[in-house]
Amino acid sequence: MILKHFENMISGIEAKLKKNPEGTNARKKFALEIARLGKKIYSGGERIAWCGVIAPFDLLNAMGVTSCFIEFVSSNLASTGSVEKFLESAEHSGYAIDICSYHRAVLGATIKNQMPMPDFMIATTAPCTGGLAVMEVLAKKFNRELFVLDIPQDESDKNIRYLATQIENMIDFVADRTGKPLDPSRLRKAVENTNETRKILKEVFSLAQHIPSPAKGRIFSGVVPALNLFLGTDTTIKIAKAFRDEFKNIIDDNKVDISNEKFRLMWLQSRPQFKTTIEQILEKQYKAAIVVEELNDITWEPIDPENPYDGMARRMISSPLNGDIKKRIEQFKNLAQDYRIHGAINSCHWGCRQGTGARGLITESLKEIGVPVLNLEVDVIDPRNFAQGQINTRLEAFMEMLGTRPSPW
Amino acid sequence: MNKNKMIGFTCAYTPKAIIHAAGYTPYRILPIGNALDLAGHILHENLCSHIKRVLDRALQNDIPELAGLVFINSCDSMRRLADAWKKVRPDHKIVMLDLPAFKNELSISYFAEELLRLVNTLSEWSGDAVSLKSINNSVKLYNELESILDRLHVRMQSGMLKGGSEKFQTLCNLASTQPLQQTIKLLKTLVTEPEFETPAKDGVPVFLFGNVLPDPDAYSLFEKCGARIVDDDFCTGSRLFKPLQTGGPEEILKYMAKSLFLNTPCARTFDPLEPGKIARDIINRAKACSAKGVIAYTLKFCDPYLDRLPMVRSILQDASIPFLMLEGDCTQGSIGQQQTRIEAFIEMLR
Repeated sequence: MILKHFENMISGIEAKLKKNPEGTNARKKFALEIARLGKKIYSGGERIAWCGVIAPFDLLNAMGVTSCFIEFVSSNLASTGSVEKFLESAEHSGYAIDICSYHRAVLGATIKNQMPMPDFMIATTAPCTGGLAVMEVLAKKFNRELFVLDIPQDESDKNIRYLATQIENMIDFVADRTGKPLDPSRLRKAVENTNETRKILKEVFSLAQHIPSPAKGRIFSGVVPALNLFLGTDTTIKIAKAFRDEFKNIIDDNKVDISNEKFRLMWLQSRPQFKTTIEQILEKQYKAAIVVEELNDITWEPIDPENPYDGMARRMISSPLNGDIKKRIEQFKNLAQDYRIHGAINSCHWGCRQGTGARGLITESLKEIGVPVLNLEVDVIDPRNFAQGQINTRLEAFMEMLGTRPSPW
Repeated sequence: MNKNKMIGFTCAYTPKAIIHAAGYTPYRILPIGNALDLAGHILHENLCSHIKRVLDRALQNDIPELAGLVFINSCDSMRRLADAWKKVRPDHKIVMLDLPAFKNELSISYFAEELLRLVNTLSEWSGDAVSLKSINNSVKLYNELESILDRLHVRMQSGMLKGGSEKFQTLCNLASTQPLQQTIKLLKTLVTEPEFETPAKDGVPVFLFGNVLPDPDAYSLFEKCGARIVDDDFCTGSRLFKPLQTGGPEEILKYMAKSLFLNTPCARTFDPLEPGKIARDIINRAKACSAKGVIAYTLKFCDPYLDRLPMVRSILQDASIPFLMLEGDCTQGSIGQQQTRIEAFIEMLR
């Protein structure tokens, strides 16, 4: 079923791209790569590793392993409207409804034999303990070997050394299972690609900060976390360039109407992965645009090709989803300033202790810089309790309130 | 030096002996008491009640004067508690230790370095250097405490401890909040008292495990339902007091790191080489104490347990060991609501 979905997605997007190759296609090109990755994973014949969200995908790609975080599956199931039966399957098997639905969906897919059998698994202790626990459960269900990268809370020298050593151990683990040792030239190329991607994405962010922003609606939603899966390859560079060029064209050709951007919003955590009308309502009724998501950001420095493991360790530890909440709040404040944000919407994904768990602290901190937060309290994967009517009322009240406030910028 | 002052802690992995060696009394901030439920506003309602009730106590000043707090980076919720603590009690000094999720040579060495960081931090806080020798001595004292508690635990397991499991939990709560020497003195007196046959002696033997269950009345309820708790494993109970290996002062931190991993089998720590080991460990412990059934008690919203318990249930089912899972929120009320289920389970085991 899921393989068919990815195949249909590929043929549909390819047809559209063929019809209008010069159009605004960055999102389509991105979606096409996602579908191709999905097809690869579900077709069999590839060496597959299920991973934690912040695994070093450039390194795994350099080692010839098709690697993917498990949440990729839940996100796709939600976006195609087919996630409910998988959630129900997990719940009938005893998984509490309070567990993160990203993970419940994956557990349901595994129970229903809709998760491809991996060759091995690479878990990460960040961003969440729930995700780590589910990786152990999956390793047991698949009867596959599990390697865990333990991510410390801050970037002290001791912590960098500890994680870099683990990354080197992971290389041995992978090489033992694939029979292919890491080729240093492939690693160097992967690191160069990673750094090039970083550079281009920074340009994309800079363009997205333009007033009015070319990154409205869903055009850039969820791009950076998904692009991480292709890190180290030419694909990320290609996609990042597509967004950069498209945003540049939009700005140069004055294709965005400033009158449609009365309010600039920042989205915290993921947006609902199933279909909603949130963006349309915001844009049409309130002239408000979501111009940045917290996950569409890069918090790490370029990686030194001469010493790549320290750089990868720093990158993993630097994730704002890891460690003290101060780091994440600082990121929000920086984004709010860079993107000239008037207000933030926090989806408060139910089941997310590390993200939603800090709701009160985040609201309070952004208030200090004059950015109010709307805490929506939705489950971004599970559409069963999603009440569009209630959401509309909350949006209306929030936007009215924003209209009465002076801009913090 | 802040003699007689307390250092707060909230996790069973906390190296109490280091705190003691620094001249402080380790004080476990238990999720008990009558503090109003306010923490959800600072954090979110979807965090476990352990975290929220501990934060409620801080918000309402329902804790003794503390010289600082030692947090362990054991789970998402614990990190959020530390974040919130800084906000609501900016007067407190805080240190958070990283705790690897699994045990191997590298992670033990790393955790030992984290313990050294704690030693240095406490030396700074107290103004006196904490020596490895004094830590070694504190470990010995804690081992003495553990040994007496173990004798009382054995009595409880056979239904021969006056006051039963309720009494034993009261002692665990005392031992995690009161000065060490004072507790040892009290326990030494108790252990010389004659054995006492309790009604629980004829109860159905069950193995009880989970995360946080500090309320002594909860244990009493299990016994009233006809259970005899022949072994238990909670981070607020016997798991807090396990013997630490000693190998002389020079190696003490490494031994402590290793012992804490070995002795504290919270679900958040696991063996990647043996996924699902938690279930096999539970089976082994249930069999070792001749339990007729296993009861899990876990707090709502505790991911490390909630994500793994269906796997545990399945493996116990395969081993034909009856299993009852209870979810609660640290209050007597929440477990009281489950009385009928507990009674039915015990009845089924008879």
